[in-house]
Amino acid sequence: MRVSTTSLFQQALLGMGERTSNLARIQQQLATGLRMSSAAADPVGWSTAVAVDRAVAELEQFSGNSTILRNRLELADASLDQVGDRLSRVRELSLQAANGSYSDDQRRAIALELRQQLRAVVDSANTSDGNGRYLFGGSADAVPPFAFGISGASYAGDQNRRSLEVAPETAVEDVDPGSEIFLRIRTGDGTFVVRQDPANTGTATLRATAMVDPSAWDGGDYRVVFNAGNYQVLDAANAVVGAGAYVAGEPIEFRGVRIVVDGAPANGDIFAVSPAPTQDVFSTIQNLIDALETPAVTPAQRATQRNAIYAGIEDLTRAQEHIIDRRAGFGARLNTIEQADAGREANSVLLKTTLSELRDVDYAQAISQLNLEMTALQAAQQSFVRIQNLSLFNYLG
Amino acid sequence: MPDILSTGSSALLAFQRMMATTSHNVANANTPGYTRQRALLGSRGGQDIGPGFVGSGAQINRIERLADDFVISRLRDSASELGRLSQLSSLSSRIDRMVSEPASGIAKPLSDFLDAAQSLSSQPASSAARSDFLGKAQVLAARFRTLDGQLDGMIGESTRRAETLVAEINTDISEVARLNGEVVRALAQGSNAPPNDLLDQRDAVVQRLSQRIGVTVAAQDGGALNVFTNTGQALVVGRTASTLAATPDPYDPGRRELSLLTANGPILLGSSGLGGELGGLLEFARDVLDPAQERLGRLATAFAQTVNAQHREGVDYYGDLGGDLFTVTPPQVSTRNSNTGTATFTASVSSVGALNGAAIELSFNGTSWSAVRQGTGQALGMTGTGTVADPFVVEGVSLVLTGAAAASDAFLLRPTAAAGGGMQVQITDPNRLAAANPVRTSAAVGNTGSASISTPSVLDASDPNLRAPVDIVFIDANNYTIDGTGPFAYIEGAPISYNGWEVALQGPAVAGDTFSIGPTPPRSSDNGNARLLAAVGSGGLLDGGTVSMTSDVAGISAQIGSSARRADLAREAQSTIDTQIQQERESISGVNLDEEAANLMRFQQAYQAAAQVIAVADTVFQSLLAAMRR
Repeated sequence: MRVSTTSLFQQALLGMGERTSNLARIQQQLATGLRMSSAAADPVGWSTAVAVDRAVAELEQFSGNSTILRNRLELADASLDQVGDRLSRVRELSLQAANGSYSDDQRRAIALELRQQLRAVVDSANTSDGNGRYLFGGSADAVPPFAFGISGASYAGDQNRRSLEVAPETAVEDVDPGSEIFLRIRTGDGTFVVRQDPANTGTATLRATAMVDPSAWDGGDYRVVFNAGNYQVLDAANAVVGAGAYVAGEPIEFRGVRIVVDGAPANGDIFAVSPAPTQDVFSTIQNLIDALETPAVTPAQRATQRNAIYAGIEDLTRAQEHIIDRRAGFGARLNTIEQADAGREANSVLLKTTLSELRDVDYAQAISQLNLEMTALQAAQQSFVRIQNLSLFNYLG
Repeated sequence: MPDILSTGSSALLAFQRMMATTSHNVANANTPGYTRQRALLGSRGGQDIGPGFVGSGAQINRIERLADDFVISRLRDSASELGRLSQLSSLSSRIDRMVSEPASGIAKPLSDFLDAAQSLSSQPASSAARSDFLGKAQVLAARFRTLDGQLDGMIGESTRRAETLVAEINTDISEVARLNGEVVRALAQGSNAPPNDLLDQRDAVVQRLSQRIGVTVAAQDGGALNVFTNTGQALVVGRTASTLAATPDPYDPGRRELSLLTANGPILLGSSGLGGELGGLLEFARDVLDPAQERLGRLATAFAQTVNAQHREGVDYYGDLGGDLFTVTPPQVSTRNSNTGTATFTASVSSVGALNGAAIELSFNGTSWSAVRQGTGQALGMTGTGTVADPFVVEGVSLVLTGAAAASDAFLLRPTAAAGGGMQVQITDPNRLAAANPVRTSAAVGNTGSASISTPSVLDASDPNLRAPVDIVFIDANNYTIDGTGPFAYIEGAPISYNGWEVALQGPAVAGDTFSIGPTPPRSSDNGNARLLAAVGSGGLLDGGTVSMTSDVAGISAQIGSSARRADLAREAQSTIDTQIQQERESISGVNLDEEAANLMRFQQAYQAAAQVIAVADTVFQSLLAAMRR
């Protein structure tokens, strides 16, 4: 083919230009570490990378959420651990006080320590989350949620249960509102309570209570009335549902409930059996304090006191169980968070690998291509310099 | 008798001309568009001297131009295509980089915004988290505005560039017409020899014209070249040149449309079918720039509406229901400048899922309205009557008509083109962010049953009684009343809706158990609404609820990226083709200096030989003279 002089030059320049632009592209890839610098390089890959980028960012944010939630749950767990310790101490002291050989003064001394424990429990219930908010206030957590005074416990928080996303489609509940932890605790054995009538004049004391047949329990109000060595069980309508001769220490059973009474009841003494109401943990301790601080001189007063301590310890046991239940709940959530963390991290590694495959440059390939292009450019330049020198005009004249 | 002297001098003259042509070739070896020329040598006729004819020397018959009209026409087509694709690819790749770059694209700030919402849900009462969220919202709105502004800038730039091109094209058109005249005149003058350099000049101008607008040509007897656009409109007929004009768009004085001013009045060229740089520019505006802006605006509209709707379902730190977080420019309806009626439209987006974004032409035929897609003319379904109670609805946009339209009045609806440019954050006080649920539930502490109440969810934030305190009271284990009404049968876990909220109760209840639903008070650290805000990005929303906002962001960059890639690949391919055709032309018409050098030597030798013939003639004549002198 006939080649014109101009096209010889143009062709050489075109080739060199192409090499140079390839070099610039590879150089940019190597400098940025990215295979693509814009969507045009690979539109499908790029849009996938945008979506994966978002997923990675989301996982990182979830990890932040998870840290915050874990801190809160751990803080709450530590507070409840302290509360548990306090309650154990209260229980220990109350059992000591129940010992009949203690004097009123000794009991008052114990009551004094119980007061301190009560204050400590209130303080724990008002634990701050470290950011100026109160852990156990629900979502009304700007003010200390609990106050305990003469009129009993007051709760300024709310009952809102908050959840937080810690992984895609995985929301974990935040710390329970204080009302669910410190208030609303079942009393008695959790189903029913036995209370001595305040007007009792005998020395009958409650030894034990138990639910022997939950299916027979109907949740009604009953009274066990003692009279002349016998007892009668009356329901709310004064109908007799059970009766028998009273033998101290022998169980009395009705409606699936068993109570064991010891001592000598006076005629007309009453033990009331009713469904267990709920009570806050502070009042439970306060009731024990009140029982210990009431002077007991006569045998009847002693019996009343012992019955009150018995009831208080029973309530305290429920409170301890309740706190442990709540902590178990925190533990389960912490466990969920841990699993979510592990899943998220595995996912994140996977996504980042995908992202890298989509977007990052393959250095080995890019460098070898760089060398290839450089060699080609050099060859083009050298050949051009030599060819452009050839002209018949050089030999004319 | 043939004369040696005259034979020799004819050869001298012929070779001199051949050397002149060769030198002309050498001189123009680097002139763009130059076609090499060749002098065609012929023998002068002979003279009958009886026994036969004796030749009388050589002469130059003609100086020809080594051009191939077929190659030139292919070159012209290729230039048109290359001009179009170069414009398209260079402009598209600019948008592509703009949208792809994390520092200027939407993907990063949108992701940051959703993360900030998620972060707010973990610390709803923290003023740092609130400020951060608001900051991210402002960054996102600013990014939408900036990107939209850059796209607006590109629209302005392409308008100006089109105006410049139109001026250049008009110059070229009149130049072709002028050259047509000269060529015709030169050919008509006597010898009928082609005016080679004039033809080169005209070919170069037509070639440039083709690169700018894309032309087809038709050669006429007499040497004139008629030039037409790809769509068949005549730019040059003989010595008459038409004028191209960029006139204001009838719907938008800021935009330009092209028309050809002819003796019979202006002809609208339309935006499709044109080739060359101008065609590429129009194609870019039509197929890349406008759709990008419309799609970006659609995302902005969808985002603002969805976030606002969610934000209105929450309460802020002051305990008030949330307001709008973002505003965007509503759909724009422009009136055609030839309308005679008084009708105007107020447009708003009524359904994000049905929103398309592409421009719609609304026209009134005197009795009814119709809507078609601008550009394609595809008929679009439109419902309603245009009143406030029953507005026209087309592709998710509601239109309320005021005033009266006259027959053949038309309007242009651009649903989302301006949306991104007007995106603003409405809230400046971080405590106005509605992170909390508007209502909260509680169970009375004295409840003896173990039923618990769920966190409420909002069904209808606009219910006027949404935040009125309501008690659910059990009258026995199986029946309850709400707010004193009822009784209703208690089904565990079944949703209970009232006043726009919904709750569920779980667990056995006892008579007298009371559950309360009431307004969330100020300073609440509830995160219910923040969590829902964080989830708006991933829900199906656009295109009939199939595309989430985060995937739409990826979709936008993929759409622009593939436009840019397509244009770039096509440009590369065309550029290869163009190089091939250029080589072909060079191969036929280009000057090879070695060849010219060889020719020069050949003609020089022939010239020397002819000179020798004259010397011989002289010697012969001298001999004759000497013989006579004797």
